[in-house]
Amino acid sequence: MNNDISAPQVETDVLTAMRRPGLAWLTGLGLAGLLFAGGLALWAYQIMHGMGVAGITHPVGWGVYITDFVFWVGIAHSGTLISAVLFIFRARFRTSFNRAAEAMTIFALMVAGLFPLIHLGRVWRFYYLFPYPNQRQLWVNFRSPLIWDVFAVSTYFLVSLVFFYVGLMPDLAIAARHRSGRAGKLYRILSLGWTGNLRQWRHYGRLYMFLAAFATPLVASVHSIVSWDFAVSIIPGWHTTIFAPYFVAGAIFSGTAMVLTLVIPMRRVLNLQEHIPIDHIEAIAKILLLTSLIVGFSYVIEHGMAFYGENLFEMEQFRFRALGHYSLLFWIMIVCNAVLPLLLFIRRLRRSLAFLFVLSLLVNVGMWLERFVIVVCSLARDFDPYNWGNYLPSPVECGITLGSFGLFFAAFLVFVKTFPVLSITELKER
Amino acid sequence: MPRQLYFDTPDAFLEELRAQLNAGIPRRRLRARLPFHLHEAEELLIGRPSRLRYFALGGGLAGFGGGFLLAMLTSVDWPIVTGGKPIVSVPPFLLIGYLLTILIGSLSCFAGFLWLSRLPDPGPLVSDDPFDPRFVLTINDEEAS
Repeated sequence: MNNDISAPQVETDVLTAMRRPGLAWLTGLGLAGLLFAGGLALWAYQIMHGMGVAGITHPVGWGVYITDFVFWVGIAHSGTLISAVLFIFRARFRTSFNRAAEAMTIFALMVAGLFPLIHLGRVWRFYYLFPYPNQRQLWVNFRSPLIWDVFAVSTYFLVSLVFFYVGLMPDLAIAARHRSGRAGKLYRILSLGWTGNLRQWRHYGRLYMFLAAFATPLVASVHSIVSWDFAVSIIPGWHTTIFAPYFVAGAIFSGTAMVLTLVIPMRRVLNLQEHIPIDHIEAIAKILLLTSLIVGFSYVIEHGMAFYGENLFEMEQFRFRALGHYSLLFWIMIVCNAVLPLLLFIRRLRRSLAFLFVLSLLVNVGMWLERFVIVVCSLARDFDPYNWGNYLPSPVECGITLGSFGLFFAAFLVFVKTFPVLSITELKER
Repeated sequence: MPRQLYFDTPDAFLEELRAQLNAGIPRRRLRARLPFHLHEAEELLIGRPSRLRYFALGGGLAGFGGGFLLAMLTSVDWPIVTGGKPIVSVPPFLLIGYLLTILIGSLSCFAGFLWLSRLPDPGPLVSDDPFDPRFVLTINDEEAS
């Protein structure tokens, strides 16, 4: 159908990437699916047997599940940074990454949203978190940061989903033209009958700008609100005013690393070298370097405030982090997040894909450990020595964590074969 | 019979569009289809900004007011003191207002976009009317317009 229209090269390049999954893709999907299935089974086991199967108990009541929640919400952030903030700043290199980064945001938020539910003792009552008129005549406590989280994360998810879908609309119409049969019909329905007339483009251009403007403050506010889950309490190591900017920088840092983890193999497997030039990857590496410096600076500030302050509990907490039971994790975190990324000052390394890929994996590890150190250390050593205790994640918690990575990567793999991974329309404009 | 002209580059398309307008063809007889947004074409053919901004403003204000009122009225309805804070605690309630500004503002923008650009459009779904990769300028007859 419509063979008389010769398609521009960029359309064929991007849409060819969606054809015929190879062995590598199938293996990846199989592995990720297996991890996810394992995680689901363990969650079912936890629901049947109760929270006792998880390692969280007194005094460390927040453990790996909350670590995972903070980690995945953080991953989501750089997607919005790339798609919305860089759009407003008219940064040209965003077109190489924005689609993949937006998809990453959505999948990361889907995964993140599961963890508060996994952490709930009685997950079947999760809807108590939403304010709705009920027979018990109760309302949620809007003074609690946990409710702010519910609003922040669900707003973030819905706005990101709309933004992702709106960006996709013209490309779905292009995909419909290239596909025949049922797939073509489906893409056409999904594109809502987009034909690219001036009326559509005119409102579309405005819509995209408004959505970018609405999403931009979310980059700063969602992880700030997540940080207030901690900062609003009085626990040493949590009760500090730098938490919001510190968490936001960390979120963009880890998310940028995840973009590199996803895009570097994607670019190679789908043969998109021409459309994702190395200069653009270098630009992302510079964001990684900048945010790493901010994160490193925050570590120094955090310890400096405790060291020079007069608060005994705060001092002991930060001594414990660096030298106590979890010190190994702390130092791995420092090396991965604040030391190794400094190598990005070397231009040759910034342009080396192999180096960037390995570094991005290490940063992911480091940022996961950062959240673990923050969540667990403060609870393990609070004010009263009688209330101290160490925590070890149980196999169920570890399995569910691995399962969350399985879900994330499986969703991303399905995405690269279902939707155009680059914004064809924006590449044409470029 | 409407005439259809096809162009591969935006420059050629805009040049022809300007030529048609200079030749005295009224705007209402000209229809354009573009592979991507061209601000120049919008200025030449329509000339006034999209009304979508009212949806952004309306949705944003409704979200802010609605969010704050939701938090305030539910707290007044079930007045239990937590953390020694007042029943109507303005700072956290502003936060709910702020988040709903973004949520309702975005959703109303999206709904407004669908309304203003007449989407979903079943026409191209039924007939075989693809999203052309070229720039298309349609010049309608006097009576058809």
